[in-house]
Amino acid sequence: MVPLSYNVRSLFVRRATTLATMAGIALVVFVLASALMLTNGIKKTLDSTGSPDRAFVLRMGSDAELSSNIEAPSAKLAMDAPGVKKSAQGPMAVAELIVVAALDKTGTRGQVSNVQIRGVSDDVFAFRPEVRIIDGRPARPGTDEVIVGQRIRGRFDGVELGASFELKKNRPVTVVGVFEAGGSAFESEIWADVDTLRTSFGRENLFSSVTVQLESATSFDAFKAQVESDKRLGLDVVRESVYYEKQSGGTATFIMVTGIIISVFFAIGAMIGAMITMYGAVSQRRREIGTLRALGFSRLSILLSFLFESLVLAVLGGAIGVAAALPMGMVELSMMNFMTWSEMVFTFDPTSSVIVTALIFGSVMGIIGGFFPALRAAMTSPIEAMRD
Amino acid sequence: MSEAQSAQCAADEERQGEQGVYRGTKEVKTIVKLKGVSKVYWRGKEKVEVLHDLDLAVPEGAFEALMGPSGSGKTTLLNLIAGLDVPSSGSVRVADAQLETMGEAGRTKWRAENIGFVFQTYNLLPVLTAQQNVELPLLLANLSSSERKRRAQTALKIVGLEDRVRHRPGELSGGQQQRVTIARAIVNDPKIIVADEPTGDLDRHNADEILNLLDKLNREFEKTILMVTHDPAAAERASHRRHLDKGKLQ
Ligand SMILES: Nc1ncnc2c1ncn2[C@@H]1O[C@H](COP(=O)(O)OP(=O)(O)OP(=O)(O)O)[C@@H](O)[C@H]1O
Ligand SMILES: [Mg+2]
Repeated sequence: MVPLSYNVRSLFVRRATTLATMAGIALVVFVLASALMLTNGIKKTLDSTGSPDRAFVLRMGSDAELSSNIEAPSAKLAMDAPGVKKSAQGPMAVAELIVVAALDKTGTRGQVSNVQIRGVSDDVFAFRPEVRIIDGRPARPGTDEVIVGQRIRGRFDGVELGASFELKKNRPVTVVGVFEAGGSAFESEIWADVDTLRTSFGRENLFSSVTVQLESATSFDAFKAQVESDKRLGLDVVRESVYYEKQSGGTATFIMVTGIIISVFFAIGAMIGAMITMYGAVSQRRREIGTLRALGFSRLSILLSFLFESLVLAVLGGAIGVAAALPMGMVELSMMNFMTWSEMVFTFDPTSSVIVTALIFGSVMGIIGGFFPALRAAMTSPIEAMRD
Repeated sequence: MSEAQSAQCAADEERQGEQGVYRGTKEVKTIVKLKGVSKVYWRGKEKVEVLHDLDLAVPEGAFEALMGPSGSGKTTLLNLIAGLDVPSSGSVRVADAQLETMGEAGRTKWRAENIGFVFQTYNLLPVLTAQQNVELPLLLANLSSSERKRRAQTALKIVGLEDRVRHRPGELSGGQQQRVTIARAIVNDPKIIVADEPTGDLDRHNADEILNLLDKLNREFEKTILMVTHDPAAAERASHRRHLDKGKLQ
């Protein structure tokens, strides 16, 4: 084997070229790692929203709450169906209304984006124990007070403790609390009193969804059979966890596919860069290669030697890319969730599998980009190389 | 065996007796034997026959100088003997190997074990230290790193560079670099050393030192040395001189 130090030191000799090539690979790996981290973050947010022992009821044919309408009597029937856990106050269930409000993004001049507003009943905290007020206090029932999820706090004008904004024209509300919800999608919502919301938006007697607490995860089938069998109700039942997984699916896949497509395009460029660099190295060191061949190093050992060299280039570049992507873990990204057409705030979630995937991607680029130059090196004739 | 060849062999024996290089009753083996060797290059459609029906026998332990005008095919001949190239026709037998019948991979392995190379332009790897350059041929043998280190240091000591082991080629003079090349050529104890104009880039003083060294390798370490040179003074140092012209040895 040609000593590895030969390749590593040769990379150092051509410092500027080496750095430029590494930067190209680093960029690609950075883009890919960021996209994968964001995909992870979206999945984590939306997957952590649902629970398998809750069932989620929507208008038949609706795939999201926003497009679903359930009349109050139907909602009541669903809540009373078998399989729903009962407490002293009756069935453990909530019927909620979803509307979107167009709000001004903070720091932009008049840029508007949709925010999801959830009309909740006053027992919502008992039903959703993962939701906790972290600043301020809960809204008083039947008032114009709202609470906001911690992820969108401060992102829109008036969406801040003590401030107020308009749900729609001439319907101002005041923010009295900020809540967290275990990193779930709720943290990108604004919660208002369901009755206030219904009157403001003229949706009296209507809900968007009903969520029920099941006696156990296994009671789901019975509950679903009962609710869906009653054709008059016209309702669909899914597990809450499944509903949010499906929601995350589209957006997460979109980000991942976009990220991969961008990465692949960039990667082609970076690979060509690595190839040019390695072709340069091979022709510059033709005489050295010829000498090694004369001394008795085989074609294969020359091939491996130069492949190793471009691999080192790629792994170092990849490591820089990953290192640059890791701080993205602290960034929160506000973007459109395609299932709700509302802004949602996601985080970049670095995991060891993202890091490994990105590094492997970088390494593969090095090997592919370095292959043909390494082949040329291996095919160098010692006689020809010494002649010139 | 043709008449001409018998005559050649007889002449060889006579010469060896004359010069007294081969002492005692030990029978001298022929280590390089070329028979009817031709080498043809094509320059487009034009055929260039560099070597024509060439015969050569070199006894083991010889120090031979190969001279001849530029373009006469000295390097071509040396490359054939060193197993870097194969003839267009004819037989090349070196160190018990029939080189023209061996494949590229076989000759590569054979070179590693049997040939030490000394080049006019040294051809050291600039990023490696003197010691690492000398160790290169040992990487092809199955040796521990401490053994490699020991042998490389011994070789550098033989060429008088024991205090330059950590220097890179760029930090050494031309004469010193050529001595590193010689250390590299002998480190795996090959039978034959081929040197293509080893003093071509050196001044008289350094050239003489390199020639002294080659002479020492020949006498003390019993290496067979084939040296191409343009320099008559260098050729004088060899035990025998051959002239290549018009595709034949004179
Ligand atoms: N690969 C090749 N293709 C075509 N012609 C070649 C090739 N190699 C050598 N020749 C020709 O063969 C002839 C002999 O070349 P060679 O290098 O052996 O000469 P030389 O005696 O070593 O000359 P010098 O003293 O200049 O080093 C030259 O005319 C050269 O142009
Ligand atoms: Mg020559």
